[in-house]
Amino acid sequence: MKIKILVITIFYIISFFNLSYGSNSEKVDQISKNLRCLICQGQSVYDSQSDFALSMKILIQSKIDEGKNDEQIYKFLKSKYGEWIVYDPEVSKNTFLLWFLPLILFVFGAILIIRKLSIK
Amino acid sequence: MLNQIGNYSLYIALLSSILIIIQYPILLNKNNINVSGRIFSLLSIQSLMIIVSFIALIIAFIISDFSNETVYNNSHTSKPLFYKISGTWGNHEGSLLLWLLVLSIFLFIFIITSKNLSSKYRILTLFFQQIIILGFLLFILFTSNPFMNLYPIPNEGTGLNPILQDPALAIHPPILYLGYVGTSIIFSSSLAALVSGSVNKTWAKHIKNWVLVSWIFLSIGILLGSIWAYYELGWGGFWFWDPVENVSLMPWFCLTALFHTILILEKREIFHSWAVILSITTFSLSMSGTFLVRSGILNSIHTFANDPSRGVFILCFLFILISLSIFIYFFYQNKIKNNFIKTYIVSKETAVLVNNLFMMFFLSVVLIGTVYPIFLEVINNEKISVGPPFYHKLIVPFMIPFLIFMAIGPNLNWLKDKINKINLQQLLFFILSIIVSYIFLKKVGISYLFSLPLFIASFFLFFITIKDFSVKKTNLSQKISHFGFSLFILSVLINGVLAKEYSSNMKIGDERKFLNKTIKFESLQINQSKNYQSLEANFKITDKNNSINLKPEIRVYDQPQTITSEADIETTLYSDNFLVFNILKNDGFYNVRYQIKPFMVWIWISIILISFGGILSIVKKNG
Repeated sequence: MKIKILVITIFYIISFFNLSYGSNSEKVDQISKNLRCLICQGQSVYDSQSDFALSMKILIQSKIDEGKNDEQIYKFLKSKYGEWIVYDPEVSKNTFLLWFLPLILFVFGAILIIRKLSIK
Repeated sequence: MLNQIGNYSLYIALLSSILIIIQYPILLNKNNINVSGRIFSLLSIQSLMIIVSFIALIIAFIISDFSNETVYNNSHTSKPLFYKISGTWGNHEGSLLLWLLVLSIFLFIFIITSKNLSSKYRILTLFFQQIIILGFLLFILFTSNPFMNLYPIPNEGTGLNPILQDPALAIHPPILYLGYVGTSIIFSSSLAALVSGSVNKTWAKHIKNWVLVSWIFLSIGILLGSIWAYYELGWGGFWFWDPVENVSLMPWFCLTALFHTILILEKREIFHSWAVILSITTFSLSMSGTFLVRSGILNSIHTFANDPSRGVFILCFLFILISLSIFIYFFYQNKIKNNFIKTYIVSKETAVLVNNLFMMFFLSVVLIGTVYPIFLEVINNEKISVGPPFYHKLIVPFMIPFLIFMAIGPNLNWLKDKINKINLQQLLFFILSIIVSYIFLKKVGISYLFSLPLFIASFFLFFITIKDFSVKKTNLSQKISHFGFSLFILSVLINGVLAKEYSSNMKIGDERKFLNKTIKFESLQINQSKNYQSLEANFKITDKNNSINLKPEIRVYDQPQTITSEADIETTLYSDNFLVFNILKNDGFYNVRYQIKPFMVWIWISIILISFGGILSIVKKNG
């Protein structure tokens, strides 16, 4: 449990530091890079020129103008379009394995290696 | 006519495959020269027939023979010859035939270049490779036949997806496939070595070349794909962690790990089982990759259901091959020598183990990130997207220790090394990296959590790999590849933090200010090419010292009707000027995206260096 909290805290710290303090339109770019354009094939909202993407960018801008922070904007979009829209799935019971299985495998591998070695 | 030739030659190849497989028990019992002669002629016939069928398909594409369904679906008379030919493998059926072609040619090369090895090992390799070939032949003939007749014969084809009509993308699949299929030989030969009890130095020495060849082709194949994505997809990035890209990266991690393990196996006779496991995994990943991309399961799970026969065949074939290899592995693993003596913690062996650990970690991140959404959707009916932020969060923190280990590892000795030896020189370089990174980041004005340690680690690796050129101990090809890798990481990082971009809606005559530059939309003209119309814009970008003209295009292809944007890129050693424009619904306005991408060309050069190290290693050994 402690480890879980620790790891989650670390992830939150990481995601906080990913924020940059640029102007608003730069912030739109940054958020839209993390959003999937729902009507395109494997493109982000940022990269797409589709109507959906354009209206999405306007929506994000208006949310920023309302004074919402990134966290709130993502939350709003997820409640409207579902988890599918963000490229950065949040840690939940559904995505727990997604996030932690690679880390568990790494630790497991490291233990295997250490057992093979003699420390001298 | 061509369809018949293609079909018959594939059936003859199928027959040879069956004949070879049923004859192999006889071969194993007595080393009868007549029998192996007969097998060899069967093999030659098979390769020849597959070549004939492939040529038949190419000819059908060149002469636009629309009685062939594949040609009808993927070609058009107005296409340039080059894209008619590349259309051969730009579709599901043709690309599988290309796979088959490379499979059989590689087997042929394997057989004629392994004459000094034990015949049991060669025959077993032949046997396992034939099972793969048989699977592909059945798959092609019964679910994805490229030689289907179409009657009445249409006058015109439906055309090749214009986004594929590009030189880099035309040669990208064959190069990538050479890498993928090369791993099949590694797979077959590792199983053969396992069964014949010859997983040893000799095997390692022999298979090393195949590992290198596959690795080089895979690296160059990925490079071509990235370059294409950079200038064609129009967003100025070269890697998006798209499932289709990930699928090519996974065997690369595996091959890189395998190559380092094979080197140790050759020099020190340890890690036998691990080398075999990696060989099996690499091929499984290559094959699942091709199939996943080709079946469309990755982009949308529903495409899979559209063609159930293909999907089911793919799954069964993969399942059979993987369970066969697992079965063989557990059945014969007691034949593997286990002379592992505990090695000391500071040694080259440990360094390779650490390399493998990180490679497997990166592999698992990419693998889980790619397939997890598919499983979640099937099990829970919940759709999630896994994109760049996920991969960056998991990979970046691990990159830091990885780079440092990579700097220290190659300078260690076998078996046991002294810890204190590492210190002085490397410490000096480490301090230098701290200073350089600190000054650099201060100047750029960036302070993300991981940027400082990441830059320190990359500069450290960069300095150490440069310094290593003066050390005689290691070989040159390794130095080049490792230096290439450090250059790659550094260029990607610098590119990432220094890239600038500007996006705006402009009409002809507009001028915009961006940083210290002026972007002017000067003119727009319409050109007519053989199979498309293009809108060519002329932008003038001026700063204090000089000005450049960039001419991006919007192409309107008519067969099939598609609009593509072609970026115009001015490349210099320091940075790329990248400009792309798109049509807006709003009359007269165009969306213009201008990017400055520092050190872009060094990303490509570094990957070429990495591959060149591999090429040098092969040439030096055989020369």
